[in-house]
Amino acid sequence: MMPRNAAIVGGGHADWGHREATWKDLAQEAGKATFDDVDGLTPDDVEGLFVGAVQPERFAFQSHVAPLAAELLGIDVTKMISRTELACASGQAALRYAWLAIAAGQLDVALVLGVEKMNLGDEYMAETQASMTNVLDREFDGVNGLNAPSFFSMFAQRHMHEYGTTHEQLARVSVKNKNHAANNPYAQFQTEVDVDDVLDSYPVAPPLCLLDCSGITDGAAGLLLVSEEKARELTDTAAYVTGSGQSCMAGNSINNLPSFSGWPQATQAAEEAYDQAGIDDPVDELDVAEIHDCFSISEIIEYEDLGWVEKGEGGQFAEDGRGELDGDIAVNPRGGLLGCGHPLGATGVSQALEIYKQFTGEVESARQVPDSPETGLIHNLSGSGSVHSVMTLARDPQ
Amino acid sequence: MTDADDTTVRSDGGSEPPRRTVTIPDSIELPRLLDFYDLQDDEHTRISEFYDRLRDGSLSTTECRDCGDLQFPPRVMCPECTSDDLAYVSLPHDGTLFAFSAVRGSGPLGMTEDTPFVTSVVDLDGVDVKLSARIDGADYDDLSIGDPVTLEVVDIDGPTDQHRVFYRFRPRGDTA
Repeated sequence: MMPRNAAIVGGGHADWGHREATWKDLAQEAGKATFDDVDGLTPDDVEGLFVGAVQPERFAFQSHVAPLAAELLGIDVTKMISRTELACASGQAALRYAWLAIAAGQLDVALVLGVEKMNLGDEYMAETQASMTNVLDREFDGVNGLNAPSFFSMFAQRHMHEYGTTHEQLARVSVKNKNHAANNPYAQFQTEVDVDDVLDSYPVAPPLCLLDCSGITDGAAGLLLVSEEKARELTDTAAYVTGSGQSCMAGNSINNLPSFSGWPQATQAAEEAYDQAGIDDPVDELDVAEIHDCFSISEIIEYEDLGWVEKGEGGQFAEDGRGELDGDIAVNPRGGLLGCGHPLGATGVSQALEIYKQFTGEVESARQVPDSPETGLIHNLSGSGSVHSVMTLARDPQ
Repeated sequence: MTDADDTTVRSDGGSEPPRRTVTIPDSIELPRLLDFYDLQDDEHTRISEFYDRLRDGSLSTTECRDCGDLQFPPRVMCPECTSDDLAYVSLPHDGTLFAFSAVRGSGPLGMTEDTPFVTSVVDLDGVDVKLSARIDGADYDDLSIGDPVTLEVVDIDGPTDQHRVFYRFRPRGDTA
């Protein structure tokens, strides 16, 4: 066990979507929302700043963004400052480093901030797509024009081919998550859809259709992570980090990925986190999960590889509604990436904050997980799915 | 920055500050760092032999002389045993479609005129290598998993004077 516990005690969001705002504007909006949310903590109390940001160099022509954020939010960093880049998992990576710093006794109060400005205007979409494509091995894979939808579509195709998974089962994931987002005021997509809407949407990267995909999103989220001692001074309800695992199996380019229908890295990362948290039966012991539905197929595969159902049964898990708010595990009550959009560096931060808000009961009633959830999980994949990151959270530290 | 001579302190809003126009280019040539294709000669990459062989019509990769590990993409260090004693070996030019999709929305910079195009994972015959590749000469709806495909060498036109190459695949038997 780590020597000291750390807990989320609050946070907030900028509005997500096509924003008429800069990277710096978004960082300030999320910072303000975060400090407004937490009574008893101000920027003067923050000792460490951890910023998740994937491509500010490409999307905002700006690097060295962590000290820029410190200036904007009025934080005199005295202990530790860093920006993390792990593609789509950058926000969770920032949170993990903040947790480790607190666990190691280096600091007591950290701000974890995720920011991404991605919409440059429709006339620059080719540049945005180029920036997304170079997340793969640019020389041998990105060069083939493999953008995210066409890459993950091949996982959908292989999963259908090997296990008989249907597009209707995939669509159930989009419907669930987008309908949760319809009750989330900061989400990019707040319109309810049904299965036919998904299946009838434009097949932008067949077999996946437009509504099987998350968005290109401007957004930011912040949270305050503090030591257990500090958390007990501030609040009765916090979200303690109980476990954290990551896995990358020495494969990032197409030839070196372990599978095109599964992610054994997710299994390895989850087992590490479950072991640290003392979780033996995740379906029985987890109340709420925010998992990486960058595409509808992703969530189906994650049901399997996070160890919730046997391989090949993810589609049935969706069809049976086991991930609905009143199901076995409430999956993506925030609205997921499919509903909230996916501002790369902010997503993991937002997922963790959602677990905290579900514990405190502060979310909109239409997407509140029933029966006072006490345990949760966040999951992100990144890039070619070569890395999987899993963190478990609980109302009570162990 | 303005020159000191141009600076006048404005008092009480009585006079406008000096102004000047700074012109930046209407467009900027495709910069090196937005070019998906590497510079392929031995002054820029240590895997130039891969590109030299491809220019001559042969797909190849590196194999470790110490432990026998076959890599793709080609390397300068063996990830299995850390040896740097690697040899270039030929790869089969035939394979089958393991998975495929199509880019029908906005393509990445430099590929916007190409859409829609087919992207794929090709499983090379008789060797444990799967590589990503564009498929020419077929639409998404024409293709199925397992279809035979064969190598096509692509000559890259611009934006450097170097003769650069890459590879794609096309349905086998299609001589178009």
